[in-house]
Amino acid sequence: MKSFALGRYVPLDSLIHRMDPRAKIMAMILLLIGIFIPAGFIGYAVIGVLICAGVIIAKLSLDFIWRSMKPMLFMLVFLLIINLLVIKTGTLLATIWVFTIYSGAIMQTLYIVVRLMLMIVITTLLTATTKPLEMTLGIEDLLKPFVRFKVPAHEIAMMISIALRFIPTLIEETERIMRAQQSRGVDLQEGKIKEKIMAVLSLIVPLFISAFQRAEDLANAMEARGYNPGWKRTRYKKLTMQSRDWGLLMVCCLLDVALIGIAVL
Amino acid sequence: MKQIEIKNLTYSYDHESLAVDHVSFSIEKGSYTTIIGHNGSGKSTIAKLIIGLLEAESGEIFVDGLPLNLENLAAIRSKVGIVFQNPDNQFIGATVRDDIAFGLENHCVEQEKMDDIINRFAEKVNMTRYLDSEPSHLSGGQKQRVAIAGVLAMNPDVIIFDESTSMLDPQGKDEINRVIQELHADKKMTIISITHNIEEVAQSDHVLVLEKGKVVMEGDPKEILLQTDKLIKMNLDIPFSVKMQLELAKNGIKADQYISMEGLVNELCQYNLKK
Amino acid sequence: MPIQFEKVSHHYNAGTQFAYVALDEIDLTLKEGKVTAIIGATGSGKTTLVQHLNALLLPTSGKVTVLDRVIDSAEKPKKLKELRKKVGLVFQFPEYQLFEETIEKDICFGPKNFGVSEQEAKKRAHEVIRLVGLDESFLQKSPLDLSGGQKRRVAIAGILAMDPDVLVLDEPTAGLDPQGAQQMMSLFMNLNKKLKKTVLMVTHDMEHVLNYCDEVVVVRDGKIVTHVEVREFFKDTTLLNELHILPPSVIQFREMLNDKGFKLDSSIMDIKTLAKAIAKEVKR
Repeated sequence: MKSFALGRYVPLDSLIHRMDPRAKIMAMILLLIGIFIPAGFIGYAVIGVLICAGVIIAKLSLDFIWRSMKPMLFMLVFLLIINLLVIKTGTLLATIWVFTIYSGAIMQTLYIVVRLMLMIVITTLLTATTKPLEMTLGIEDLLKPFVRFKVPAHEIAMMISIALRFIPTLIEETERIMRAQQSRGVDLQEGKIKEKIMAVLSLIVPLFISAFQRAEDLANAMEARGYNPGWKRTRYKKLTMQSRDWGLLMVCCLLDVALIGIAVL
Repeated sequence: MKQIEIKNLTYSYDHESLAVDHVSFSIEKGSYTTIIGHNGSGKSTIAKLIIGLLEAESGEIFVDGLPLNLENLAAIRSKVGIVFQNPDNQFIGATVRDDIAFGLENHCVEQEKMDDIINRFAEKVNMTRYLDSEPSHLSGGQKQRVAIAGVLAMNPDVIIFDESTSMLDPQGKDEINRVIQELHADKKMTIISITHNIEEVAQSDHVLVLEKGKVVMEGDPKEILLQTDKLIKMNLDIPFSVKMQLELAKNGIKADQYISMEGLVNELCQYNLKK
Repeated sequence: MPIQFEKVSHHYNAGTQFAYVALDEIDLTLKEGKVTAIIGATGSGKTTLVQHLNALLLPTSGKVTVLDRVIDSAEKPKKLKELRKKVGLVFQFPEYQLFEETIEKDICFGPKNFGVSEQEAKKRAHEVIRLVGLDESFLQKSPLDLSGGQKRRVAIAGILAMDPDVLVLDEPTAGLDPQGAQQMMSLFMNLNKKLKKTVLMVTHDMEHVLNYCDEVVVVRDGKIVTHVEVREFFKDTTLLNELHILPPSVIQFREMLNDKGFKLDSSIMDIKTLAKAIAKEVKR
């Protein structure tokens, strides 16, 4: 689990950690839009500086950023090779056997790689500094305007937060059932196809049965404590936008405007 | 004053056999009632009926004189709280704080007042240190204490413990029992405890014995627990002090009828002094 | 051959920030044919300990010998299946491992995994279902239709059908009512006395330890605190206090009387003898 960093929350105390999740989600969207504005390398440089500042303020280690990028590395290399070989604009730089490499290809490829890396760092910056619960609250609030279009904002948020709450429980349960079946001779590595199917069934069926049982218990517990999706309720965690949150949004908006300016000129 | 009144209550899961079979009883305000019986005798079903999680086939339930029906459901759920058996499956919030807040949110408590209430009840169950802990870092006993705090925070008149200690280790059981005894000492809350712990029964005010969906015995713990023949016939446990008295009687010692060890020890000391 | 742990350690998540030592260089020898209770607070390492017995967990360092198999942390273990067949491990709340459509199929699942023929497995299913106190009419039912206690019996039957020499049980009576718990314990006694199975059980119930077990192993913070005969264990009231173990009612009652001036011998651990001793002292 140590190497898995993509999408993980890093419990630290920093200015960015304390910011309003709505501001952070909106800022992420604005930055992602910024990446897709064709403002050339100057644009990427500006976004890059901004993100670097973000990483430093959030106290995230370079090692962590590197590890969250790692799962995407294969894709990056793959894209790199394909692009180098397929794009044939600009001047011919080299010919290796039947492959030709043009200057345009190098530029294009660099664009794509930089773009992807920026996207990963931007999303990591959000997920690493925002508790899952705050993220759901943020999503709920941001979806609120869409309630009139029948988007069940509260229900979605409740579902996400319960799912998050039960992930560790279910992982533990899976491990336990797996060991219990191993004690009954299940071998997940070896065996014929038929045996493997049985092995998987012996894991999945109990997991489902127990998950349903938990769901029923949970529904009872929620109802007994007065929860009813249709009823009015108050909320304990109130999100409040402070000047720094507005500031962040302003910066991101200005950035997008500037990038559009560069692109048009 | 009657807190809960149940008249001729019937429920069936499969429309063949009755899980609850024409049950009637009432529970006094501020009393501590234990309900015992084997697994499958209908104890938990009655609890779920009282809190309106199941709908009775026939019969009536009154809480504070208010009949349980769809109209009164919200009102009754704010009067009656329940702590279930499985500590994991009733922890809803991401942290202890959020879990206690969950019930408050449902009851539309103003947000400004919540922190105060949460702190107060976390302290009552001795969980103040863990307010920001996630459930996966808590023991079973701690999770159950949070569940109790969550119920108490809603300021109910009645709290039902549905085998709340049966999945806990001895330490966890002890923690929860202590909280129950404390609540009982206050005399403010009506407590209903569904339990297998016969020693807990001895400490309550009132006992109901269930068998096959029927109330077969009801009364004062002393009166019930000393009917050893009946209890043994039903394969139910009897308190140690009562077992001891039976053995002592075989050896020619007639101790008076005690349902607690302390009582019997004192009686035997009297014997020792008299000689 | 006994079961032997030599300097066995088990570390979880070694090398990460979540690393902790669940077992710390333990030495333990368990005799065959006994009923041994493994006790200790939650998180003391009991469950980790028993999962070494059928190599579900492998020692980080040290050597485990079970029957004629040696599991050494230095070697890469092979053919663990043979060991798992000989050591039946019943997990806590084993009813959650049932998954087949019929009880018969579920019971046969274990033996068939270990290479027992379909026919032989079915024969065993018929035997073990009676052994756990249910009758053969259950075999064609779905395990989902049973009550909690019955499901647990079926799960245990599934382990017994593997015909293990050693039966390891992790809190087998948790969540059962007193009657169900007692029946469960009688079942294990039967397996031990009549079928000569070595039984190891993790438990929190001191009444069960006193009334059914031969020996006690106490685990605390990943170390073995003591390993003695049950009666020796309960005689040592200072140790019980230190371990925060509430002794069985008989002993509690005896000590309450002794505190008030009675002189009841600390070897008295059953209610009948205690009653006689009290009578003798009172009438004297």
